[in-house]
Amino acid sequence: MIRKEKKALRMGETHVEAVRSTFPGAVLDATWQAEDQVTITVPADMLPDVVEFLYYGRDGWLPNMVGNDERSLNGHYALYYLLSMEGADPSFVAVRAEIDPVTREFPSVTPRVPACVWSEREVRDMFGLVPVGLPDERRLVLPDDWPNDLYPLRKDSMDYRKRPAPVSDMENYSFLYEGDAEETTQVPMGPLHITSDEPGHFRLFVEGEEIVDADYRLFYVHRGMEKVAESRLNYDAVTFLADRICGICGNAHSVAYAEAVENAQGIEVPIRAQYIRTILLEVERLHSHLLNLGLVCHYCGFDTGFQHFFRVRERAMDLAEMLVGARKTYGLNLIGGVRRDILESQKLSTIKFVQELRNDVEALVDMLVSTANFESRTAGIGRLDPKIARDFSPVGPCVRGSGFARDVRFNHPFDAYKHLEGLGVRYHDGCDVQSRTLVRVEEFMDSLTMIEQLLDSAPAGPILTEDWTYTPHKFAMGFTEAPRGEDMHWAMVGDNQKCYRWRAKAATYSNWPILRYMFRGNTVADAAIIVGSMDPCYSCTDRVTVVDVNKHTETVLTKSQLESYCRRRTYSPLQGRGDA
Amino acid sequence: MEIVVAIVQALLLVAAAPLMSGIARKIRAKMHSRQGASVFQDYYDLAKLWKRTEVRAGTAGLVTRIMPPLFLATFVVIAAGLPLITRACPVPLLGDVITVLYLMALPRFVFSLASIDSGASYTSIGGIRELIVGVLVEPALMLVLVVMALACGSTNVGTMATSVATFTATPPVAVVVAGVAFAIACYMEMGKVPFDMAEAEQEIQEGPLAELSGPSLAMLKLGMSVKQAVVAGLFIALFLPVGAAASMAPLDLIVGFVALIVKMLVVFLVVSVIENAVIRVRYKYLGRYTWFAVGIAALSFVFLIIGI
Repeated sequence: MIRKEKKALRMGETHVEAVRSTFPGAVLDATWQAEDQVTITVPADMLPDVVEFLYYGRDGWLPNMVGNDERSLNGHYALYYLLSMEGADPSFVAVRAEIDPVTREFPSVTPRVPACVWSEREVRDMFGLVPVGLPDERRLVLPDDWPNDLYPLRKDSMDYRKRPAPVSDMENYSFLYEGDAEETTQVPMGPLHITSDEPGHFRLFVEGEEIVDADYRLFYVHRGMEKVAESRLNYDAVTFLADRICGICGNAHSVAYAEAVENAQGIEVPIRAQYIRTILLEVERLHSHLLNLGLVCHYCGFDTGFQHFFRVRERAMDLAEMLVGARKTYGLNLIGGVRRDILESQKLSTIKFVQELRNDVEALVDMLVSTANFESRTAGIGRLDPKIARDFSPVGPCVRGSGFARDVRFNHPFDAYKHLEGLGVRYHDGCDVQSRTLVRVEEFMDSLTMIEQLLDSAPAGPILTEDWTYTPHKFAMGFTEAPRGEDMHWAMVGDNQKCYRWRAKAATYSNWPILRYMFRGNTVADAAIIVGSMDPCYSCTDRVTVVDVNKHTETVLTKSQLESYCRRRTYSPLQGRGDA
Repeated sequence: MEIVVAIVQALLLVAAAPLMSGIARKIRAKMHSRQGASVFQDYYDLAKLWKRTEVRAGTAGLVTRIMPPLFLATFVVIAAGLPLITRACPVPLLGDVITVLYLMALPRFVFSLASIDSGASYTSIGGIRELIVGVLVEPALMLVLVVMALACGSTNVGTMATSVATFTATPPVAVVVAGVAFAIACYMEMGKVPFDMAEAEQEIQEGPLAELSGPSLAMLKLGMSVKQAVVAGLFIALFLPVGAAASMAPLDLIVGFVALIVKMLVVFLVVSVIENAVIRVRYKYLGRYTWFAVGIAALSFVFLIIGI
């Protein structure tokens, strides 16, 4: 009897029913965007209750929250808390709430579900919506010199081609200290640091060499891609923009965006195209994991290992070049399929590449784990407590190193991942840098197996479908497991062949908030490898602060000073300051 | 003649130190499977730095300014006194092990002081680390030298070298074990990976070096290369006096000179290979490794007492 009833249920329906029975009257509306995606609309004041219930009560994880300016559609702003249900009845549930356009207030979910913190700070920056009760009210995305009342993602905000005049010349971001010790020294790490190729400003609060607490700010160069996509590109060109989100895992973003639109529009992607996408996602994982394994060596002060991993990584790039014509797996996805097929000859040489990579990497990994001090530098370092992980919904090897088997490829199989045999989520429960590194090693080997399996079983057929009709204002999620964790895109197309709203969440976005907990209790010497074990992605800086915390002096070089120095290359603004 | 040898060997060491580090860089590149820069790259770097403007932190004072020349000068003085080409010390006054060891402590002290003086956080951490390395390595060095002094009957490096070269240092096992301990301690003292605590690039952004620029940085870089050569030289002088000139005869001197070059190259080759095959020690665990060196030194002391 029960079984029969279950069969009649749609994916995710048990969650909707559970919310209905726990909070009578809360579900105003429930609609399915795709087979496994349901959006329920709840009153704004029920948000914290419903999200908390789904998150902790029904094994939900929170990849992302999307704000949307729907005033031209229904007179309100809307928030979509996207939840990935990974217990019974695996599916995606989006909790939607409409926000009053005048007061613009909504109750913050962060005090109940900490994983929302960055999304809520971002929606505050971008739409001017006010999360009431949000503990951290600092800006997240907008720079310090951005005007207070200008919200870039509102539909009636300024033209995307213009720039507002800066309102401040000084950095006024305050770093928060949450430790107990009274006297600590602050060690600034970044915005430019020798071990990060991209800027991120970390403040380490240390006692001696031990890190008591840490705070950081990022978004030094926010490229405004979402706005560009909404105002400048047609929806079908955004796959190519999505490629450029990341220099490493671009294809994962591109696939996620394409599938968001395809899910929304109900497009059936040809099976062969699904296989090709999957194979290229795995090819991308190969070079990304090799990059990180090399960097782990580098952060430990073992540059020999670093160079050799990069030498082998070059072969993975060659493989990508052979398959897509570029060293990066860029420019491949279209809405409805892919642009290039994998030919028989390419298939054969891919298998050869895979064999070569397997041998080389096995040898290198053996070398790495047997090198003196590897164990002492990685075991027990950068501990990510499983409880913190549960609260903040981190993704990728980060969460899998802390004992959680979270991997979109297996939790919510999509594309050709449905057809894989004998593979499962790789996870370790050491909660430290070593576990995260081992997860990457094992996933690398699995990726090689996946590529072989998929090449063998890919059916012949078309690689692109154009047999569908465009319906405005339909929305859905698209998701992939990028090498660094799950990428989650949410897209709604408009009535002008453009994205009405596109929200791209990179894997690292989910991982940054946990970093402060991973830092605690380690030493300054471990800071770089802890950041590295997260395998973060960030972007470029536009100015430099020289801070001397010990002596309470601070000099900020203004943008104009730096720019003029860049042009003239003489009269350093710092010159001769010792003589004063 | 002795004084000429002293000056010549000191100058040669300074002149050749960048070449030594250049060769070390080349070996590293080869082990990385890279082409690598020319072995003369360090000379080019120094020349370029020398031309650059000097920028100092606003808080830096006198100590920061005098540290680089003092650092370099001290090691040049030590280099002059070591029995590198000859068996005997060219300048006996500078040949006492106590003098040598504590002359080496002077630049370390000023170096640490300067890094705290600059007031930046990474440099301060580097300075403190440098002191800790010094404190931890010194017992091993000192103990070995005490053993050698007892075995050879003198605290003069030249006398020690002569008795090692003529196999008159007794008891032999104690001397060999002392040599092993000294090699380990010297390696740590050279500040190479895995013991490059003070400058650990990825951890503390080259620590004290980060606050220096232009000629100061050039001087300190040169000083650090010279330091490595001097520490290697000290080991060579004491435990590898093979081929060193027994007298001041020109032929002996030439042989001694050639032998020195060969020995230096071998030492640097070994050091480079080790350096590139290991991961940096976690700063916390440095003590374990230094105790290992102290342990071997203590063992040699035991052998000395029981006379084998």
